[in-house]
Amino acid sequence: MGVLRVERDAPTGIAARVGGVAWRDFDVQLFVYAVLLATLGLTMAYSNTAAQLGGDVAQGGTTFVRGLVWAVVALVAFAAATAFDYTWLKAFSWPIYLVNIALLVASLLLGSTDAVSARWVSIFGLQFQFSEIAKILMIVVLARYLADHDRRLDSLPAIVGACLIVIPPWVLVLMQPDLGTSLVFIAVLVGMLFMGGASLRWLGALAAATLAALPLVWTYVLHDYQRERLTSFLDPAKDPLGAGFQLLTAQHAVSDGGLLGAGLTNGAQSQSNLLPVQATDFVFAVLAEELGFIGCLVVFLLFAALLWRILTIAWRSRDPFGLMVGAGIASMILFQIVVNVGMVLGVMPITGIPLPFITHGGASLVSIAIGLGILQSIAMRQQRAEW
Amino acid sequence: MRFVAFALVTVLALGGLTTRLFAMQLAGTPARVPAAAVAPAEVGRQIVTEPVPSTRGLIYDRAKRLLVENVPTFTVSVRPADLPQSQRPEVIGRLAGLLDIAATTITETIDGAIGSRFDPVAIAHDVPEQTARLISEDSLTLPGVEVSVDARRDYLDGPLFTQLIGWTGSIDATAYASLKGQGYLPDDRIGKAGVESVYESALRGVYGVREVEKDGTGRTLRVLSTTAAPQAGESLILTIDAREQKLAQQALDWGLKLSGARRGAIVVENPQTGEILAMVSAPTYDANLFARGISTADFQKLLTNTDLPLMNHAIGDQQPPGSTYKLVTGSGVLADKKLGATETVLSKPYVQLGSTLFWEWNHAGWGPLDIKDGFAHSSDTFFYQMAQRLGIARLAYWARQYGFGQPTGIDLPAEAGGLVPTDQWKLETLGQTIFPGEVLQAGIGQGYDLATPLQLVNAYAALANGGTLYQPQVVREIVSPDGTVVRPFAPKVIRKIAAPSWVFTTMREAARRVITSRHTYNFVDLPIVVAGKTGTAEFGLRDKNGVLPYHNWFAGFTPKNVWTKDNPTGDVSKPDSQLAFAVFIYDAGTLGNTATEVAKYYLQLHYGIKQDLRLPQLLERTNFYEGGR
Repeated sequence: MGVLRVERDAPTGIAARVGGVAWRDFDVQLFVYAVLLATLGLTMAYSNTAAQLGGDVAQGGTTFVRGLVWAVVALVAFAAATAFDYTWLKAFSWPIYLVNIALLVASLLLGSTDAVSARWVSIFGLQFQFSEIAKILMIVVLARYLADHDRRLDSLPAIVGACLIVIPPWVLVLMQPDLGTSLVFIAVLVGMLFMGGASLRWLGALAAATLAALPLVWTYVLHDYQRERLTSFLDPAKDPLGAGFQLLTAQHAVSDGGLLGAGLTNGAQSQSNLLPVQATDFVFAVLAEELGFIGCLVVFLLFAALLWRILTIAWRSRDPFGLMVGAGIASMILFQIVVNVGMVLGVMPITGIPLPFITHGGASLVSIAIGLGILQSIAMRQQRAEW
Repeated sequence: MRFVAFALVTVLALGGLTTRLFAMQLAGTPARVPAAAVAPAEVGRQIVTEPVPSTRGLIYDRAKRLLVENVPTFTVSVRPADLPQSQRPEVIGRLAGLLDIAATTITETIDGAIGSRFDPVAIAHDVPEQTARLISEDSLTLPGVEVSVDARRDYLDGPLFTQLIGWTGSIDATAYASLKGQGYLPDDRIGKAGVESVYESALRGVYGVREVEKDGTGRTLRVLSTTAAPQAGESLILTIDAREQKLAQQALDWGLKLSGARRGAIVVENPQTGEILAMVSAPTYDANLFARGISTADFQKLLTNTDLPLMNHAIGDQQPPGSTYKLVTGSGVLADKKLGATETVLSKPYVQLGSTLFWEWNHAGWGPLDIKDGFAHSSDTFFYQMAQRLGIARLAYWARQYGFGQPTGIDLPAEAGGLVPTDQWKLETLGQTIFPGEVLQAGIGQGYDLATPLQLVNAYAALANGGTLYQPQVVREIVSPDGTVVRPFAPKVIRKIAAPSWVFTTMREAARRVITSRHTYNFVDLPIVVAGKTGTAEFGLRDKNGVLPYHNWFAGFTPKNVWTKDNPTGDVSKPDSQLAFAVFIYDAGTLGNTATEVAKYYLQLHYGIKQDLRLPQLLERTNFYEGGR
């Protein structure tokens, strides 16, 4: 495998193993940026809850309270993933792949049928989107595959192999139908192939092939409402009360924000609940309206810092697997930011892609926490290997 | 290298987004949102164009007495989102006291309302003005409570005009679907009965449009501009004379009360123009019930009442017209020259057809009679023979000439057409042609014959004016809000009845003889000249004594030279009558003819005759065919 083996302490229990790694190599910056972003997300949840309930924010079942619960769950998941020796992930990547497929199939079968798509599964009263977790599991599996083909990615078969790994879960996600997540899959695949050193020639050929296939996908795969949402951004005024309504309202909210914003819970559009799905897909519009240009800038800077830390960890990793995981997570986050914020700003089509940390979705937060935890696990276990 | 590339992509992407954000938030570029498109997207937020209801037109009687006006009505509602939980019990308690509604009912209404918490929930409709003002002045201590004002129709003499004027009610889905294009709103009110419905488009006016600023929850902050001012609806001036209407109702109510009958109608018409001067239908109800929003229980009561209060009996009740129909048979047989003006025919106890006996109503007859005496005695055997001479086809022809068998086309909804039997009609509906016996019945307004009180008064009006059948009208003029006449009155002629004028003169004199022969008891003793014809028509099922229930009719007219002192001979030869009338009493069941007594009382009232010749004893509920023979 060409991977440095990590020597493990005597297996005398989890505490011993966890204690055995170098906690001083824990990337504090990565953690801090992530926590700050998540806190911003919770703040927006608070504001949105105030919009819906007019005051009594702390009662159970609100977006805010659910956000708090998920934040705790995410912290636990992060800690667990950090403590967990990531090398085991490599060993278990194929079982993980099967579990991933099984989860997606289960989600198709069990998912709630309201809201057209089957992407939501209810666990203990908390709505959960398996496709969010699937993204992280996909990254792990793909990282293992690409690490195995380290420096051999010039060949077409290796690239096609990577694509073949992605296709089954990708199709399952598209069937839910979750167009947004399926696009994230592609972005992650491309990002990881690129960072893994795949031949640019073949990548270009692949891109050309994808472009050629687009009209077919448009006609045969996409649902009417998806097409409508995708095109409405081109001319939102065409159907101002229908598909373009979200966009127009969102853009209005953003414009209203100005430099400093209207202040939390003060957004005229947001507080009147005019924005559809404002707690989720369009949360950035609320943020822009209430926190203004400065607030948005802070968010961008935090994201930039976070991406920088992720890439740094990937760079430092002597392990191609670690590098690939970092590349995958960075690609995922970057793609989601660009598409989600771009959508709110009216330069990207409407797809249901969450804004990491800020969008109030438990699954999104937990899966990113797990991803970052894996990265921490990688960061902490590199130095040790060096010794 | 690839790390650098990735970092570059990251920086470019975030930089691009920041630039875009800068353009939208700080540089003031309104993104790619065309200005025109912003307005509809902001529904509920800022500038909203909304319709401004127009003032509905008023309704007057022919003497410009106001019959329908618009009055403000106050609705108290609560916007749940504006009512803080902490103050809720207190506010609801105060509302309960002010509105005299149980607090639990208010709570239930608020909590039971579906829709947004920002939508006002109506708590009480038609709140007294005093209470409404008290609540709106107290808005500080009553957060979330709102008072709105709407216009409501006020029918000044509700039950008297209900059948004529009708009422307005909420537009229903089918009506809305067809009227949406004309600017109707889903929660609009629309004329649903009477002239309110027929003249809806004139009365409604044109809704205006204004721009208002609203906050996100739908509360109007201020009116910005009025794009188009609403145009008030046009007003109606009825042909109806409110005084005549009252007198007619008084007479009808008296007759119904004494006879114990519950259903009837009286219609008064100007024979020279077709204008309806009075039209009363019993039983009636108050249109204000509907204007205020009728309760389901009240509406059910009206719907299930077997006396059909919702029907305008003057135009909707089609019943056998009985002997009043002998006008048709008589006119026809004269015009077709099947009977000479002075020719006599033997009246007998009965006319035999095969083995069936068709009896004279007094089972005796009067010997030889000419047309006037035959009509005066209402001899059935005389008119059986006239019907035989005419045959069913010609009888139907003359009936249709007089306007029977088809709606008159009056400007009121739900008019019945009546029925004039013909061979073709019977073949189509019952699969056989008319039997000879049925021809006899058709000749005396029995059997299949059906007519409405309006058709009857219109036929007698044609008789009175010398043969012109007018289309009856209840709306005289349509007047714009500034008082100019938009549509002046114009009489509408349906047809000139195809009979020479001597036929009508003869029949008028025959109708006069009905009165002078004392067939109508003391009617002749009134100091006025009246001509008319009684009718008694059997219908329905025989009772335990084998007797059929029956209706009473009386139709007639007065000549222009009406007072006996000026017209001692009782001359009705001139076609100059100003007043024709018809009275209908459903299931009369009295000793005498209730309709005749009602007509007599009405004429006494109309001409202000001090002498009271009413014969209440004739209105005892007994049986005409037993006791009155």
